[in-house]
Parts: sequence; structure tokens; C-alpha cells
Amino acid sequence: MILFHKPPPGAPAGAPGAASHPHEDRIRMKKPIARIALIAAVSLAVLTACAGGEPPPSAFPGVTVDGAYAYLASNYHLYKFDLQTGAVVWKFPAAVDNANPIGPFSGVPLKYGDWIVIGGSAGMNGAYDRRVYAVSDATGVEAWRFSGGAREFVDGVISDGKIIYAPSGDGSLYALDPSQRDAAGEPRLVWKFTTGNRLWSRPLLADGVLYQASFDHKLYAIDAASGKELWRFEGATAAIGVRPALSDGVLYFGSYDSHAYAVNAADGALKWKTALGGWMWTDPAVQLGRVYVADVRGRVYALDAGSGQIAWTYDTQDTVKGQPVLDDDKLFIVSMDTNAYALDPTGSRKSPSGQVDFADARWRNDKLGRRLVSTPAIHGGDLIVPLLDSDIKMWALDKSTGDRKMQFPPPAATTEPAK
Amino acid sequence: MGNIFDFLVVNPMTNIMLLIYGLFGNFVVAIVLLTILIRLLTLPLNLKQMVSSIKMSALQPQMKALQEKYKNDPQTLSAEMRKLGFNPLSGCLPTLIQFPILIGLYNAITRTMAVNPMSLLELGKHVYGFLPNLSSLVPIESRFLLWDLGQPDTLFVIPILVVVTTYFSMKFTSMPSSDPQTKQTNQMMQWMMPVMFGFFMLSAPVGLGVYWIISNLIGIGQYYLLKPRLDLAKAQHAAPAPGSAAAIAAPARKAPPPKSKVKPKSTAKIAKPSADSGKK
Repeated sequence: MILFHKPPPGAPAGAPGAASHPHEDRIRMKKPIARIALIAAVSLAVLTACAGGEPPPSAFPGVTVDGAYAYLASNYHLYKFDLQTGAVVWKFPAAVDNANPIGPFSGVPLKYGDWIVIGGSAGMNGAYDRRVYAVSDATGVEAWRFSGGAREFVDGVISDGKIIYAPSGDGSLYALDPSQRDAAGEPRLVWKFTTGNRLWSRPLLADGVLYQASFDHKLYAIDAASGKELWRFEGATAAIGVRPALSDGVLYFGSYDSHAYAVNAADGALKWKTALGGWMWTDPAVQLGRVYVADVRGRVYALDAGSGQIAWTYDTQDTVKGQPVLDDDKLFIVSMDTNAYALDPTGSRKSPSGQVDFADARWRNDKLGRRLVSTPAIHGGDLIVPLLDSDIKMWALDKSTGDRKMQFPPPAATTEPAK
Repeated sequence: MGNIFDFLVVNPMTNIMLLIYGLFGNFVVAIVLLTILIRLLTLPLNLKQMVSSIKMSALQPQMKALQEKYKNDPQTLSAEMRKLGFNPLSGCLPTLIQFPILIGLYNAITRTMAVNPMSLLELGKHVYGFLPNLSSLVPIESRFLLWDLGQPDTLFVIPILVVVTTYFSMKFTSMPSSDPQTKQTNQMMQWMMPVMFGFFMLSAPVGLGVYWIISNLIGIGQYYLLKPRLDLAKAQHAAPAPGSAAAIAAPARKAPPPKSKVKPKSTAKIAKPSADSGKK
């Protein structure tokens, strides 16, 4: 690399490489070096910034409330919060170990005896953690891990109280028995059921049958004890990424083909399907003959559970990913438009044509300021709402009014001022 | 602003990419075809920018001399530069127009690969409902030869290919400069940029690396296709070495004759800036 030019013999003054004065030559050469040094410094700063710190969230936080505590899987940590004070009791991992990276985490944490169980998730640039972790509820220290999966566990795991069912992005549903562990401390794999594509939603367990949706466009009914397939529904034309809802022997779910489906839980026969406006990626909620779903374009639908006809709609301004939550006489919706909504589940406002009702918002909290993609949890009179990308991990809202009551962690523990 | 950019650039590209993927069933083919398509569409802009670079490079000695001469009189300097044929926008405007298109293509590839739930959610929001069956293609098949297109390359083949192709792409496509400082900067950049991109590719998904390699190869191919026109432009705008007699005698060869008002007298003065500085 040439940093200083020697003047060619006989070169005229001013020609390239001809220095009229050695000092002048040095000054001239400093400029490109300074420019290059600046570019290098900026580039290194950008690359270092990319490599260090906690990357932005790439999956959906999940919250579970159990007694006086809330457990939140959010980005690179699993948190235990005290619901009375908002304080962090512990976080897992307590410190980031670059040599043995753990996480990110997403989906709903499972309270399993004295453990909190959560799966590793998918991160930026395609990186993922393919392990399931059990963390001590008392201390936040890892108790065991399962590393038999090949890909991420995006939506968390479920359990019947004994066996843990863990759906993986590798397309397999793993049945694990933590009461029997091998020499490395890992739980015994009871069975494994493999589908044709990613499993990015938890299964529904009812009467010994697991209903598992897959990105291979199918919904599977699996015997929970043996892992054998009972039936499969193949009527969807795109991936299914939701946990179905079951009511009166009928399973309800949506697909990326922008349709909502109802199938018989006994044999998988189609009851009805209804075309909606966009990809369906919310777990449905069912109550009193109505199925509540939402699409990625932000529209909330109430469908008639018997016929699939649209009873009413409500438009938010951005994607709805979190499951609609029914409590008392309200339907709680959170949206990526940063608002939380409490709707009237019956719908009460007629369209001008009189054909479709529109739900009324009982309240709307537009002061959360962050994208909301996670299913809220109910705790007494509070609605616990996780935030996607914030130092404030969750807000507790008054269920009746939507007013903010408490932030998690409390203000003193965050650098982000409450708005 | 981001929404407008998405609406006009990223969303159409994302859907076209899915359409091509649906036709061929191979995401690498989709990347290659869309990159070629975009490169063809931006070819006139690219050519304009290359010719302009050649022209500006040839004008450098005269511009430097003028800058020295009129360093205390920016208005006259600007007028003289215009007379010389200097247009600061002529080189960067085509690049500025191309830049969002290339950023859009990059975003479209990242979004279509949908390597994590948030990126899949973004994809879901922007798949055109009026085009049938696009949603059924998601998630795309990410296996290609030895690699998972959505994962970083643990074999380091893709980062190495990115380094090599970026180096040659920069080597062939960077415009020669008569200015030693610019020359030196170009040389440094020819090494630094490939290494930086290679470093970035160590943690980026293979699909992006494939795009980068294809884009570099197309850039090199495009350069060779355009070479006769570029050589012609070079010949038209060829500048003699600064300080040489030819430079003094013919300072504004490329400027259109009616606009060229730089007289030999003034250029003689340019050759001796110290004598004239501040006297204008």
C-alpha cells in the first residue's frame, strides 16, 4: 500500500507524485488517510453496534400470570415480575454470556411445578436457539434444558401436568417427560411427531388429543399418549400458524390463506370456511356462539360460530397478532398501531347498509407508544399488556377504563420516561 | 415516509419475487432473475452515472486549478466551474435514484426470506391479496445446495465469494482518477469494502450473500457490456496530466464550445495560482 509518493524523476511541479515541498506532500497525503480512517471508524462503529448489545426483537413476547407474579418471555430474557410492585424478581439469563449465548425467547412461558419452561426462539439474521429451558421459579437459575430440537420454539410449550409438548420450527412436535432425565440432565423424549413444515404455534390439548397446526397447510389431531396421528385437515391452501380454539366439539382457526375455518374435532370434517381480508395469525377466542379473530391488516371480526357469517368488524390501524381476550363484557384487543382496545363483543353499531354491525370501543388506550403483538393477560382488575420493543416491558391497564396503572419494571428501573 | 417507500418500492418487489419463486420453485432463481431485471431497468441511469464520472474525473485538474485561483471568490468559481461543464448533480443524481431501488431489493429479499416471526408478519402485511396463491408459497423453501438461505453460512464459502466478487466489482467499475488523493482513496476502498461486506456476511443469511454475489457478477458483466461506450466517453473526455503543457493549452476540451469561455490567458494564470490568488 502506497501512502507517500516519490516524485518521478524529471516530473514537473504539480504533476502527480511531484512534491513541491516535502511538508506539503505529507499534508496532502494526510487527507485521504484521514478520510479512510473516518470511513473505517464509522464502519467499525456500525458493525460493532450490530454485534454488541441486545438486538431489536424478532419474535412475539409472551406473558403468563400465576398468583402474584407475571412471567414474561421478551427478546433475550425471561423475566419474573412482582405484580404488586412491578419489580423484576429475576431475569434469565442473569447475565449475557457471549461464549454460550442463550435466547432469544418468545411465546408464552409455562409454569410447570417449580419450574418455568420456555423455548428458544428465532432471532435476527436467521439465528435461532433450538433448546427448551426449565428455569427455577424461586431463583431464575436454569434447572435443565432439552437440546434435541433442530430449530426454534417460537410459541412456547404446553403441558398436561406431566408431559411437556414442544412444537418446533423444525416441523416436529416433541413430547418430553421431565420426570425422567438422562445423564446430561435432559428430559426423556417420549415421542416425536413430524409434519411437513414449521410449527410456530402451540397445540391445543383436549381430552387426550393434541390439535397441532403446521406451516405445511394442515391441522393435525394427534393422540397425546402415543404420538400417533388420528386425522389431518388438508382444506387450507396456506400455512396455519395459530392454536385452534375448541367449543362444542368444533375447532376454529385461521390460515395465511385469509380464511377462517371450522372443523369437527372428532374427524376433521369441514363445517364452514369464511373468506376474510388478510392473513389470519391470531389464535381465535370463542364465547356465546361467536368466534373472534383478527387479521394482519388490523381488522377484528366476530363470526357466527354456527355458520361462519361475519357478525361485525372493527378496524384498528395496524396488524393484530395477539389473541382477542374476553373478560366480563369486554373483548380486549391489542394492535401494532400501539393501541389497546376494549370492544363491545356483541357489536352495537349498524353499518349504513344495515348488513354488518360494527363494534363500539368501550375504551382505547393510545398512550402505550409501542407496538403490541402479544396476547394480554388478565390479573384481577388489570389487563397486563406486553410491549414489543421498549425498556418498559409491560403495562398494567385498568380493565374498566383503560387507564395505565403500573409499568413493569417500575420507572426507577428504566431509562425510558413514561409518556 | 417508510410506508411510501414500502408501497412504491419494497412491496412490488416482494410480490414480484414471490411470483417468480412461484413460477420456478427456487428462491435463488428468483433472486437472480429479479436482480437482473432491476439491473436492466437501472442500466440507463448506471451508464449515465459512469459517463459522468469519467467526465468529472477528466475535469479534475482544471477544477483544482480554478478552485485555487478563485478560492476567495466562490461566486466566480461557481460560474467558471459551470463554464467548464461541471455539474455536481450529473454524477450523483443517477446514483441517488438507483440507491432506493437497490435498498428496496435488499429489503424485499430479507422480507421474503422471513427468517423470524417479525419478518414473516411484515411479509404477511404486504402480500398482494389480488394475486392468487402467493400466500400459499410462504414460507419459502430455504434449502439451496449445502445451505439454508435463511441462515448464516457456517462453511464461510458465501462470505469468501462476497469478498472476492466485491473486490473485482469495485476494481472494474471504479472510475480511474487523475487525482492522486482520489486514486489512493479508491485503492483503499477496493480493499476495505470487500472485507467489510465479508465481515457482515459472517452473520447475515446466505440468501443476502447470494444476492450480493449475483449483483456483483452482474455489475462486472454490465461493465464489460458498457466498456465500448465508456472507452468512447474516456476518449472524448480524456484529460492530459495536470500541470502538463497540454493541460494548460487545452483546459476545457469537454465543455461544449459555446459555453467554454475559459481563455488561454486565464488558464496560463491558473498554472501560476500564487501570482493571481485574491487578485480577481
